[in-house]
Amino acid sequence: MRIVQVIGRVTTSLHDPSFRGARWLLCSPVEAADLDSACVRRPALSPQPSLIAYDSLGAGDGDMVGVVEGGEATAPFDHDIPIDAITVAIFDSLHYRPPV
Amino acid sequence: MLSAQVVGHAISTHCHASLKGNRLLLCQPLDADGRPAGTPIVAIDRFGAGLHVKVFVSTDGLGARHLVDDPKSPIRNFIQGIID
Repeated sequence: MRIVQVIGRVTTSLHDPSFRGARWLLCSPVEAADLDSACVRRPALSPQPSLIAYDSLGAGDGDMVGVVEGGEATAPFDHDIPIDAITVAIFDSLHYRPPV
Repeated sequence: MLSAQVVGHAISTHCHASLKGNRLLLCQPLDADGRPAGTPIVAIDRFGAGLHVKVFVSTDGLGARHLVDDPKSPIRNFIQGIID
């Protein structure tokens, strides 16, 4: 699971029929240096590419969320759905203590 | 499987049902020389791994679904063992 910050939403009018009712989030990865304060102070945007994730939790702008990427993202669904990233946790706090 | 070092923990009250009650650790993947590689990931811990302990983290969804006993869990990463 990767830690990302929600930086926006994505809406579509034309999409795969299995995406009906889906909510999509635009997410920016959180750099290691920003992890400890990420839930308190909004971290800077990452130079890494942003990703779009299926939202299963109702996360909002600025939330720190855990995103699972890969085929496992489709596991919660009863129907076939071509997604490869899904939110699985909204973090209340992150405690990052790298070795010195 | 990734070789990683525990660098912290995460707390989440609003999460997928299969994550409830599980300890979530921040794990920094390491390269072949033991240096940090990439950004930390979050993994389920069932062993009580301590801070800065070296562990190996599975990226296998099937194993994770067995671990949390939920065939519809999207979880992938869990700590498989603590490296002596």
